[in-house]
Amino acid sequence: MKILVCIKQGLDKEEISRFDEFALEEALGLKDKFLEAGLTDIRVDVITAGPTKATAVIKRAFGMGADRGIHIVPRDAGYSPAFVTASNLAAVAGNNSYDLILTGIMSQDMMEGQTGPMLAELLGLPCVTAVVKNIFNDNTGIMQVEREMENGLRDCLEICLPALLTIQAGINTPRYPSLSNMLAAGKKQIITLAEKDLFPAPVKAKELLVSVEYPEKTRAGQLIEGPLSDQVSQFKAFLREKDLK
Amino acid sequence: MKPILIIAEVIENIIRPVTWELIAAARMIIALNDKGLNGKDPDGKNSRADKNDSQGIQVIVPANDPMALAEKITSSTGIDVLALKIKGLVSYTSQVYIESLGRLIPEINPSHILVANTSQGRDFAPGLAVRLKAASIPGVTGIRRDNEGLLYSRPVLDNTRNMVIRPRPGCVVVLTLMPGVFLSSAGKAEHPGSITIKEISIDSGSEVVHKEILKKHRGDQALKAAQVIVAAGRGIQEKENLELISRFAKCFSNSALGVSRPLVDTGWIGYAHQVGITGANVAPRLYIACGISGSSQHLAGMKDSDWVVSINRNPEAPICCHADLCIVGDVLSFIHAFLESE
Repeated sequence: MKILVCIKQGLDKEEISRFDEFALEEALGLKDKFLEAGLTDIRVDVITAGPTKATAVIKRAFGMGADRGIHIVPRDAGYSPAFVTASNLAAVAGNNSYDLILTGIMSQDMMEGQTGPMLAELLGLPCVTAVVKNIFNDNTGIMQVEREMENGLRDCLEICLPALLTIQAGINTPRYPSLSNMLAAGKKQIITLAEKDLFPAPVKAKELLVSVEYPEKTRAGQLIEGPLSDQVSQFKAFLREKDLK
Repeated sequence: MKPILIIAEVIENIIRPVTWELIAAARMIIALNDKGLNGKDPDGKNSRADKNDSQGIQVIVPANDPMALAEKITSSTGIDVLALKIKGLVSYTSQVYIESLGRLIPEINPSHILVANTSQGRDFAPGLAVRLKAASIPGVTGIRRDNEGLLYSRPVLDNTRNMVIRPRPGCVVVLTLMPGVFLSSAGKAEHPGSITIKEISIDSGSEVVHKEILKKHRGDQALKAAQVIVAAGRGIQEKENLELISRFAKCFSNSALGVSRPLVDTGWIGYAHQVGITGANVAPRLYIACGISGSSQHLAGMKDSDWVVSINRNPEAPICCHADLCIVGDVLSFIHAFLESE
């Protein structure tokens, strides 16, 4: 079984984006189960697209137990629409016949949740997003998954591999990198590929970034700073004034 | 003019109310386009669409038996509906939606495709956009126009900024719209629109099979009934500090303890306490957010509270834009000081 986990830098650039950590843990958990059952034919690859610094997340993934790392260097620094990233990932994943591709439900920075489902469409794979539970039957190749909906509902599905899942937060507890893995990580090679080689003609973005703004306030947002005692008395005055206590 | 297409959200054969919000947004887009054409108010910020204006909008309602749903939509909005009968569709799957909508939509040739930014919309919209070679802008919370056309804004970077995006001119664009932002406009239409029936059978799509929809008992009655909710987020740092938040909550009568999603995800406390889109939607008299930065999913679940107080070290946390009072400082020290003063 070959698993690919698509990961991205978090807001703290050294770390794996929170949601992607859950995806990686799902893959590593599956690998553990295979190994416990004496099945050694399992491999977890991680892939990321970003600047050279982004290789830090691959090293962290090695520390957690990933086997191979792929780094895609984008053509342009800065805003990369999900479709461009998904095209890059598809160019690599398409040649490697993965049985399962996992990614976080969204990135922490862009918060789009598009790269996974777009990658699935580009590869012609079935896709389930916001997965909160999955059980794989190695004999049938079928994965039972539960997708989180609103209002406490869960959609239960069966999906035939190969497939792509995006993983919701809270599905597991991501492990910390282990010392032995960290030491072994130094020997693992990261395969580096450039977007300009994957796509000599640029993938044309259909979305243009116009500007970045501060969000508008929906309430007064009166800032109460200063010594604690003042803050407490102002808070109490607020409660009295609005008759809240 | 190319039509604006809306994909109705249907779950368990019921039209989800977010569909009315999509219709409101479509009317807003039409009003903004009209203003652009007339050259008046290019900013269009304060535009309000004429409620009777249903021209140029079409709603697709995909279901195994969509007629009753289609009638409900057109009688309450006056908008033309395309009842998409997908034979044998038991329940939503992304595969069936992308396949059937991907076949149907090019015939309609719309300018915009509006989808709810819900668990269902997020599941199929990006793939559909790729299938249609369309631009795709998810999680839209604002629509406006400048001299060159429509602009869409959406929160990024943990909600601390908005990104403003313009689709490449001439591209059809798939927008997923954040629920609770565009005010719903359903009522009773004077003149119902027309209903067109279209039948599609899907042979492929067997790789994903729907089994059932599970209903988890939320147990959030305490949150829903409370007049005051004191809610904790990651800023409280340790599980043990929940005890302090609980004591703080007890200072208020008719109060309950809420939390943001990460605290439930890490297993500190049960799901019954979770506030937000994936937990409870609450609207108490007073909401006190303790160490909560304010993710969109959390904000959407508590924005209707009468008064909101935030206690947070970071005055630039997104919650501060959506609170009446922002106490800037360490949440634990503040609560200790408050408890001592009681």
